[in-house]
Amino acid sequence: MRQWFRIAFPRTHLDRRKRAGFLFVLPALLFFGSVFILPLVQSVIYSFYKISPGGSREFVGLRLYEKVLTDTTFWTAVWNTVQLLLFSVPVTVVLALAVALGLNRITNLRWRNLWSSMYFLPFATSLVAAALIWQWIYDPVYGFLNYALSYVGIPPQRWLQSLDQVRPALAAIGVWVRIGFDTMIFLAALQSIPQEYYEAANMDGASAVQRLRYITLPLLNAQIIMVCILELIFNFKIFDQVYATTQGGPAGASQTIISLLYDTAFKYFRLGDASVMAVFVFVTLMAVTLLQWRIFRKPVVY
Amino acid sequence: MKRREWWMVVMLSAVMVAVTFPGASFAQQKKLVLWTHWDQNPEFNKWYAEKGKEFAKKSGYEVEVVTIPYQGYDAKYLAAFMAKNSAPDMFMGMTHHWCGQYDFCDKMPADLAKIYDDNLPKYMSEVGKWKGARYGIPIEHGNFQQMYINVDMFKKAGLDPDNPPKTMTDFLAAVKKLTIADAKGGDPTQVGFAIRSKGAPVGITDKFLPFAHAFGARMLSPDLDRATGYANSPQMVAALTYFGDLVNKDKVASLAFGNPEDAFGQKRAAIIFRESWFFGWLKKNAPDVNFKVYALPCEKACPGAGALFPWTDLVYKNSPNKQVAWEFMRFISNPKDDMEHHQIQGILPVWTANLESPYVKSRPDYQSTRDMLAQPVPPTYFHPKSNELATAFGEAVVGVLFGKGQPKQLLDEAAVKMDRILKD
Amino acid sequence: MNPVAASNVPPTRRALTLRQVYVRWLITLAVACGAIIVFFPFFWMAVTSLKSAPEIQRVPLQIAPDHWFNFSNYVEVFKREPFLRYLLNSAIVASIAAVSSVVVSSLAGFGFAKYNFPGRDVFFLAIVGILMVPFQSVVVPLYVWMNELGLLDTYMGIVAPDLVSVFGVFLMRQAIEMIPNDYIDAARIDGASELKIFFLVILPSVKPAIATLLIIKFMWSWNEFFWPMVVISSPEMKVVTMGLMSFTNMYFIEYNLLTAAAVLSILPILLIFVTLQRWVVQAVVMSGLKG
Repeated sequence: MRQWFRIAFPRTHLDRRKRAGFLFVLPALLFFGSVFILPLVQSVIYSFYKISPGGSREFVGLRLYEKVLTDTTFWTAVWNTVQLLLFSVPVTVVLALAVALGLNRITNLRWRNLWSSMYFLPFATSLVAAALIWQWIYDPVYGFLNYALSYVGIPPQRWLQSLDQVRPALAAIGVWVRIGFDTMIFLAALQSIPQEYYEAANMDGASAVQRLRYITLPLLNAQIIMVCILELIFNFKIFDQVYATTQGGPAGASQTIISLLYDTAFKYFRLGDASVMAVFVFVTLMAVTLLQWRIFRKPVVY
Repeated sequence: MKRREWWMVVMLSAVMVAVTFPGASFAQQKKLVLWTHWDQNPEFNKWYAEKGKEFAKKSGYEVEVVTIPYQGYDAKYLAAFMAKNSAPDMFMGMTHHWCGQYDFCDKMPADLAKIYDDNLPKYMSEVGKWKGARYGIPIEHGNFQQMYINVDMFKKAGLDPDNPPKTMTDFLAAVKKLTIADAKGGDPTQVGFAIRSKGAPVGITDKFLPFAHAFGARMLSPDLDRATGYANSPQMVAALTYFGDLVNKDKVASLAFGNPEDAFGQKRAAIIFRESWFFGWLKKNAPDVNFKVYALPCEKACPGAGALFPWTDLVYKNSPNKQVAWEFMRFISNPKDDMEHHQIQGILPVWTANLESPYVKSRPDYQSTRDMLAQPVPPTYFHPKSNELATAFGEAVVGVLFGKGQPKQLLDEAAVKMDRILKD
Repeated sequence: MNPVAASNVPPTRRALTLRQVYVRWLITLAVACGAIIVFFPFFWMAVTSLKSAPEIQRVPLQIAPDHWFNFSNYVEVFKREPFLRYLLNSAIVASIAAVSSVVVSSLAGFGFAKYNFPGRDVFFLAIVGILMVPFQSVVVPLYVWMNELGLLDTYMGIVAPDLVSVFGVFLMRQAIEMIPNDYIDAARIDGASELKIFFLVILPSVKPAIATLLIIKFMWSWNEFFWPMVVISSPEMKVVTMGLMSFTNMYFIEYNLLTAAAVLSILPILLIFVTLQRWVVQAVVMSGLKG
């Protein structure tokens, strides 16, 4: 409290500087607050109410929490989401890193721009449009993927119709859309690494792999963590691709938390239950992010 | 840097444009707003606005039609109704949801309700009603499935395309003949029946119900208050066994075929059960398919003209213009307008008087529709929680199709779930 | 002593061994192949937009359309929907979102990266936390709130949830963190105010990040579907994504029109991206030449 008083009425240079820092952050806080605070609070309040036929609301305390958190459908959705995550996050980060490293090596600027544009282009499509196009590419009968695979002798796969392939197939759509985004972040970071570091390493006779391990990756640490966190958050909330294509099918194999949340809120008219799921998502993501941050934050010594 | 300045100018002008655009507050003209998510029927939707111009001459109110994407319409409707003053005056939706689960609908004035009670086909008399009171006007006739057959494939298999199977037993025999198995034991190259196995479980329930009804089963009790004993009745188990066997035992339907519509259009499937809009789709996407439409096969009972999703036009309860809205509804509630409205889109009219018109007589589904309407009305499930109930039920159906369990066991589980939903 | 940004290659003074040339060539090939694979769905989309509906249904698959200059789908798209208006609306909304994001995010990024005030980490976590809330659970109360503010069906209303980007704050914080503190201290010693430091020291050093954020935020906002769909009710305010979805319905998807509309909606972004990318490169090169 005393600290806040000193911010508001600064006495020393340090105080003044702290105040400046706070003021820089204030617009963002105000924006988010004015748009989201009320709706967020309202949404949490919903989780304590049940909407009965006719539209009236009754307060039920923690009953909905108990109901949702003991529902097997909910946990199946959580497990499906986790399976999707285990595919998409590592694949996206590793591929994006690999592509960025590869692009970084291309000295001809025009070619590099061309390739990096092509990688980035999927980000220019909306998730829904991408999902619809991919759904068609995945079609077992007249989709392009099976057609191409038939030339290599692989029999037609069911992709989005298969209980096992549907999750990776859906995850792949997200990977395709987002890979350019992460590549761009890594590439921008790679290009800010001072050349001197590599020159010094070369004087010491370091190999390419050693350069990667001891210079590049540690310096990219911050970006890697950021990308991992963002991809985790983004893929945990996966919804658009699922809803546009399989709607949770077949047989619930692609039912993710958010698609279940959407159905619960708007098709089953149970806003309270949906809000409970939202609270669950928030708490889980917050916990995981904090954990990731704590574990992987290494100070980089220049 | 020149380019940076240029971009700044562009951005700044965009901001200025946005600021000077106070949104869409344009019309001084009074109007009724109608929301619909029937985006596959643009002509039908436009007609309301056209009629609205005529209506404006007597009442001063035009009609503005807003087409909402089907994906996400439920969220938009709910948000608008909860915010009240941004809600439409009229909207298209399911009566038992918006008037039953929520209280967003205005009751239809008695005179108009009587007009509809007198002029709707028998099976539609409950569509638009909730607890005996009428709220909505049914806009879709032909929302029930019928049997489309590929004439050429029938001929090739030695079957008479003018004499389609009339019972489920005959149906099974026919699709067996129509299936061409793969020599290598993989998925068949041609199936007898295009089965719906993808998408949300509600849709799968919708496609399975004709089979259920044909076997004399029903999903819920007549009062719609109990599922156990109905959703898992012996008749239902028999129906689901039959259905699952099509895929798993008799192999006359396949899960590897994607969209059943595509399969039929690509001549990979000989029979499909689809509603009356389907031949419009065929004409556009697969014009070389030679098809005929027939009534669905019966067994113990007949599937009849039943639908899980009856669409109706409703009036918002808290609309300041609801009197005028009902006036507009009265204005268009006559046989001539009903005919014109549906004909320009190529769908079936709703009024009984129009069912023998030359337009309807010229449709490929004329006779089959008559046959199906002659059958007794099948069970309906217009319950506020119909989405959730149908999803739980559909999970059992899908489970059987994908071999995740036996019909009896999965149906028992579904019945328990459905009862829990009903009691909640 | 600005670091010269260059690619991670050994100094050219040393002669390249055959193996190194081979490896470099292999890497380029791999990158190129990857790019082509990633690009393929667009090619597929473009090709499909030149086919008629029966052509698309055809089995076995044919890659090339029957007529290469069959633009009937595009004509139909414009006939059915006022697509130009949608493009304009999306452009306006995305521009506002991008500019606003950059301004607010760079300010916030600076505050988080280089200052230490009470509650800093909590605030940062709160901002990141916004990302963790599923939008679907907030949409109804947000709509009601927008209604109270009178912003329904307006550009501000469409843009409101998008005005600041959490990712933007993340990115700018990252980028600004990398600026050596000596520069800032030097500027302070010279007597510059904090705001001046922001404009004269920080902003010029993070031009690539700003350009990146602009592009990404513009694209992201351009491709938003759910919130615009909920908040827009009048036909003239619709955005491109809603136009795209009008070619799908509860029964079927009109792929011939959908792909044509998708191509139309990507072209403007492509343009912006190509232009801005050149600026990114210029910015990087310029910063290399300085000092």
